Amino acid sequence: MSSTVHEHCTSRERTELALEHVEADRVPLDLGSGPTTGIHVSSLYRLRQALGLDAPGTPVKVIEPFQMLGEVAPDLIDALGVDVVGVGLPKNFFGFANEAWKPWTTFDGTPVLVPGRFSTDTSADPRGGLFMYPQGDPLVPPSARMPRRGFYFDAIKRQQPIDDEHLNVEDNLEEFGPVTAGELAYIKREVARLQPAGKAILGNFGGTGFGDVALVPGMNLKHPKGIRDIEEWYVSLSLRPGYIYEVFDRQCDIGLQNLARIHEEIGDAITAVFVTGTDFGGQLGPLISPRTYRNLFMPFHARVNDWIHSHTRWKTFIHSCGSIWRLLDDIVAAGFDALNPVQTSAAGMDPSALKQKYGDRITFWGGGVDTQSVLPFGTPADVRDMVRDRMRIFGRGGGFVFNTVHNVQAGVPVENLLALYEAVNDFRGYPLG
Amino acid sequence: MAVLDELREAVIDGQAKLAVAKATQGLEQGIPAEVLLQDGLIAAMREVGRLFEEGEIYVPEMLVAARAMKATVAVLKPRLIEHSVQSSGTVAIGTVQGDLHDIGKNLVAMMLEGSGFEVVDLGTDVPPERFIDAIRAGADVVGMSALLTTTMTSMKDVVDAITAAGLRDQVRVIVGGAPITAKYAAQIGADGYAPDASKAVRKVRELLAV
Repeated sequence: MSSTVHEHCTSRERTELALEHVEADRVPLDLGSGPTTGIHVSSLYRLRQALGLDAPGTPVKVIEPFQMLGEVAPDLIDALGVDVVGVGLPKNFFGFANEAWKPWTTFDGTPVLVPGRFSTDTSADPRGGLFMYPQGDPLVPPSARMPRRGFYFDAIKRQQPIDDEHLNVEDNLEEFGPVTAGELAYIKREVARLQPAGKAILGNFGGTGFGDVALVPGMNLKHPKGIRDIEEWYVSLSLRPGYIYEVFDRQCDIGLQNLARIHEEIGDAITAVFVTGTDFGGQLGPLISPRTYRNLFMPFHARVNDWIHSHTRWKTFIHSCGSIWRLLDDIVAAGFDALNPVQTSAAGMDPSALKQKYGDRITFWGGGVDTQSVLPFGTPADVRDMVRDRMRIFGRGGGFVFNTVHNVQAGVPVENLLALYEAVNDFRGYPLG
Repeated sequence: MAVLDELREAVIDGQAKLAVAKATQGLEQGIPAEVLLQDGLIAAMREVGRLFEEGEIYVPEMLVAARAMKATVAVLKPRLIEHSVQSSGTVAIGTVQGDLHDIGKNLVAMMLEGSGFEVVDLGTDVPPERFIDAIRAGADVVGMSALLTTTMTSMKDVVDAITAAGLRDQVRVIVGGAPITAKYAAQIGADGYAPDASKAVRKVRELLAV
């Protein structure tokens, strides 16, 4: 650990120091840089109103429609002291671009702006929910549904009959193709736009998320083939591992070629890259065995991380919900630099134990406050206490980027949101109290 | 009996075709369907539950074993009905209103069926009225699943609706799902909570005293 006291860092410097396990001037803060460090539009709207950033009724933009995450705009970034922003691809999980914004009101009454191809027709669902269509095409079956009174979408099962005698890996590779010239130009433009503000940048380029069940249903595909039902996918890890391995192998080739082309365009302008969002843990334990992780996933994680570390200065970021302490030895060995969301409410994910065992080898990008009970159902004092504790535990010696455990959900009392970010700013300075 | 052991092993290993073959073989050998259910399937289910609780098998292996169980139950059911073998009880199970997550609920449903219960799967996004209808249609137990902190509140709505309909005394209510705790279950007036599919079956047995 460096003994230099770092004062007055830029956001990027602050984040880079944290990722190098060095204490900067303060703990860096992320809100909104990626699909697992954001905030639901409902909570975002209330926060912006409470901070006096908008006139009442000013809509917030839905920049990630699958989870209904809102845009963390520059004024909010400044107000909260956020250090990280994100750059991604032009199309979202549903395969259409975030453009041609139009007004809508969510089921809980939040005024929003949604992309032009976001369907707002609730009459299509007999139960009053909202369907979303792949690539915004209402002439094909919907690929996702938000129940009436729901807050976000779930994929709809679109599983063709499976013929185990004639499985074809191409069927599960349709969504993985070479990055296009248009996408490269977009990424380059976005990076150029974001760079002057001096923030750290998280790259969300896709392609290397092996077996992410948020993506397996292929919500951006009009007529997906292959194994697309989530339950069938889990069954396949046990019954069809050869098929899965082959899909991952081909996917890895494509993913690395794309990262190489992206790196040619933007170099080391980004700080870290979101490599994988596959959830390996549930509330009580891993969803898959350590052996399955080691045999099916780890080889590809290691390949991607090795390539990134050999060819770029990017840090590698893994998202995995749940109780994964039993997999962490291997996850760290696979070469990940940052772990998100650090679900401390899951079994065995004790902050002190995690920091003690892995704190010198992986940066905890999350874990700042529990989002299953404390943030939504606790008091503002509970939130404040937890933030202070987490800063002290995770922030020691750097290696901590403050974020809530996963996206801030809908339904969080605004007093708790205000208490959260007030506490972050009160307790983030080094040396920690 | 060799075929019973083989049936049990086939279910534990998740080999659905082999399990069905062994169950069929057992019936042909004259082994009563009830014996195949108790000593083959239910014994297998208990072992699968133990392996899962002890962290030796995980979700994929559980699902695969549960599917083998489900396939075998389909073979045994006509014979069980033919011989008027009573089910241990009827469980109506569903994911609550506003929530579409079902893998956990499906696991519980399959394991209950494999344990000799009649299961009515109400699906997902189930409003309170449908749970009430299921009770009126004869369910002894109502099982509710929720994955989200934002939808778990619907569970209380269901319990309240059951009480308002005057049906609370004739049904047992169990709840489960990632954000659910025993404390929450007690708070909303449920009769029981289970953290996983294996314990859910035990809880249902306990509540129905079977």
